[in-house]
Amino acid sequence: MSTPSAAAIGPLVDDARVAARVAVEARQDAAFRVVLLAAAAFVLLVLGAAAASMLWGGRDAFATFGWKFLVSDQWDAVGHQFGAFVPIYGTLVSSAIAMVIAIPVSFGIALFLTEIAPTWMRGPVGAAIELLAGIPSIIYGMWGLFSFVPFMAEYVLPWVNRNIGQVPWIGPLFRGPPLGIGMLTAGIVLGIMVIPFISSVMRDVFRTVPVSLRESSYALGSTTWEVVWNVVLPYTRSAVVGGIFLGLGRALGETMAVTFVLGNAHQLSTSLLMPGNSIAATIANEFTEADSDIYLSSLIALGFLLFVVTFVVLAIARLMLHSLARKEGR
Amino acid sequence: MTLAARGPRYRRRRATDLIAKVLGVAATLFGLFFLAWILLVSLRNGVHALNLQTFLQATPSPGGQGGLANALFGSLVMSAIGVAIGAPLGVAAGTYLSEFAERQPALRETVRFVNDILLSAPSIVLGLFIYTLAVRTVGHFSGWAGGIALALIVLPVVVRTTDETLRLVPNVMREAALSLGIPRWKVTIQVLYRAAAPGILTGILLGLARISGETAPLLFTALNNQYWAENLNGPTASVPVVIFQFAMSPYDTWHDLAWAGAFIVTVFVLLLSVGTRAYLLRNRMDSAG
Amino acid sequence: MNDRTSDPSLAEATRTKISVRGLDFYYNASHALKNVQFDVPEGKVTAIIGPSGCGKSTLLRVFNRIYSNYAGLRATGQVLLDGENILADSYSLNRLRTRVGMVFQKAVPFPLSIYENVAYGLRHHVKLPRVQLEERVEVALREAALWSEVKDKLQSSALSLSGGQQQRLCIARAIALRPQVLLLDEPTSALDPIATGRIEELLNQLQRDYTIVIVTHNMQQAARVSSYTAYMLLGELMEFGATAELFTRPKKRQTEDYITGRFG
Repeated sequence: MSTPSAAAIGPLVDDARVAARVAVEARQDAAFRVVLLAAAAFVLLVLGAAAASMLWGGRDAFATFGWKFLVSDQWDAVGHQFGAFVPIYGTLVSSAIAMVIAIPVSFGIALFLTEIAPTWMRGPVGAAIELLAGIPSIIYGMWGLFSFVPFMAEYVLPWVNRNIGQVPWIGPLFRGPPLGIGMLTAGIVLGIMVIPFISSVMRDVFRTVPVSLRESSYALGSTTWEVVWNVVLPYTRSAVVGGIFLGLGRALGETMAVTFVLGNAHQLSTSLLMPGNSIAATIANEFTEADSDIYLSSLIALGFLLFVVTFVVLAIARLMLHSLARKEGR
Repeated sequence: MTLAARGPRYRRRRATDLIAKVLGVAATLFGLFFLAWILLVSLRNGVHALNLQTFLQATPSPGGQGGLANALFGSLVMSAIGVAIGAPLGVAAGTYLSEFAERQPALRETVRFVNDILLSAPSIVLGLFIYTLAVRTVGHFSGWAGGIALALIVLPVVVRTTDETLRLVPNVMREAALSLGIPRWKVTIQVLYRAAAPGILTGILLGLARISGETAPLLFTALNNQYWAENLNGPTASVPVVIFQFAMSPYDTWHDLAWAGAFIVTVFVLLLSVGTRAYLLRNRMDSAG
Repeated sequence: MNDRTSDPSLAEATRTKISVRGLDFYYNASHALKNVQFDVPEGKVTAIIGPSGCGKSTLLRVFNRIYSNYAGLRATGQVLLDGENILADSYSLNRLRTRVGMVFQKAVPFPLSIYENVAYGLRHHVKLPRVQLEERVEVALREAALWSEVKDKLQSSALSLSGGQQQRLCIARAIALRPQVLLLDEPTSALDPIATGRIEELLNQLQRDYTIVIVTHNMQQAARVSSYTAYMLLGELMEFGATAELFTRPKKRQTEDYITGRFG
């Protein structure tokens, strides 16, 4: 093929053609933008509609029981008396136990992966911990019910009952029959589930600490621990708290893992070894059995309460996580 | 060395440091121990319970023999619906946040905020929402409602990964395409999406991995079905819900099937997660080279 | 037509391609360009030099209004391309960009094949039969001094080229549309000396058919490639003139300070 000279090729786009397309292209851009905006607005709509629909579905329960709904421990399907206190208590206690376990362990893992482990180990071990987050919660439930519960019932709980259960003050918390299922077991399973979320946030933020900050601390003779405790943690404090709240948000809303091992008993007891109930587990277990409108409405009202609580916790988490990003000018 | 090199205070600091390091290792071993335990139990019990019938027969009545075929099919179909609805919406919303919201920062940040909350919100809440929207209104459970509920779980994942991936595309590329006189929508679709494709695809696959194990949202939307559903207008079986029902029952044969289902779900989700991570890593290295 | 020699004493015979009149530019509240006024001659290479932050890139980016993609940036005044004010709302962006092409500091080939990169703009703007499209792609690649290196692998990914080749590909991509003006924003700052030399040679050949404006922080490069130079400092155009004059007999003290290396 002969190569034409540059001059012979000539100008490419004539004005008339471009002018004709200007209006068309402007319309296309505008239409494209509208479609995308609608999709983004849809995200807002989902949250708003979800909240509104649950408030609406639960209105009967709220209207019938009023504020007592939050503090009543009744749960009588026959007599149509429902109160949210037992599920709320169970949700809060199991989540609290989960956090007591998850926070220090996550911190330890983050410490290991950012300061202690040799470089070649950090990738694989980090990925392995992330796998814990990928395991579906129903698998946690299955493992919890068929492996962990018998283990707890046979080895751990009798020991706890005999030893910690006799300690003054906190003893009553740890006294009880070694059923296996119960608040403590559920709390431990939840804690394990939540670890990868908190530790990955911690790991990510620990790595954002400027190298110069850490190195100057080392240069002054600090030990690894001192660098982490005195430099890294204060620098990342709000994001670490954000990560913890993120884990808490997950723990509060977790359904399947807890349903399998909490025992689904609408009873309050001081002992952590006794079964209980959580909001999510109650809804999951009883939804298909709800045979009256007020029963159904009470379950949806429970869902609304859970929604509000997790919304607040997750909102706090996000605000704290972003305050660190803002500090860095990102 | 510092002046206090060998003093008791230094020894104490060294001891604290050592204890911290030991605890760090212990914490990691704690996490890895449980990971191994859970995986081993699932794999061992699952393999034991898995056979050809699992893939061929429908779920049995209490105490009977059978398989998971209808549940597998139901999960497949509902997940497909979930991705078919959630992924395009997510990509569109993520594109808006990254590319077309420069003059609406308040709206943009609000959507990002709300999306982050949706991302971590309890899936049972989303299930209840779709119940009131798509089940109560028509009076019956359906596979469609299940698919929609799953779409709401896929949506925030895809929004976030699309948003973040597009933001990683260097600005110069946008400017280079725009300076050729190409309209913005074409630049977005033909250039930016191509550049961001690995990340966006990863987001969609991660969304799929997430919904593969979800039980709670299906409980109130698709419910369950012992038999093959004729169409999606009625209750539809899914693997997670079957696992839930069978595991909580007193029947051994049902327990076995629950483990088989758990095994399938675990393997699928882990392969997907590990696979997408490897894919993303490989693509990043290609484009950097 | 226009004067083709680079003899500055015949500058009066050169036509003006772009006329900048009273141009001010704002980044939100910050006043980035202050009352800039000068004429870019046709068919020549004009360099814009100055220390970091002087506004040279900002000025360049006014010429194809690439800033309009971002919120909070605005320009006032007039920039006349062949007599028409490109800052006017009525002057469409796409029309402007078919006449004014741009090459950036970082070479950004699209994630497409080499051929598709060059053809990308062509495909959008004109419906050409395949043979003509191939011709134009070849011409563009030849003008960018890249044809001989890629003619056997046009379908392979553009990302497989070296840094210098990628930049020449970006130049080919821009000139495929046959713009009248070519803007280059520090095109060689990320390249090694050999690649830099090849691109400078390229600019020398391209100026026959294009008006070229190049921003560079490298004074020696400006002296090598350009016929005219504009010196900017803190958003103001300090001095504009024939390159030889500006570098040997600068009229302003600030220009002399910069050129002799007293700062920047």
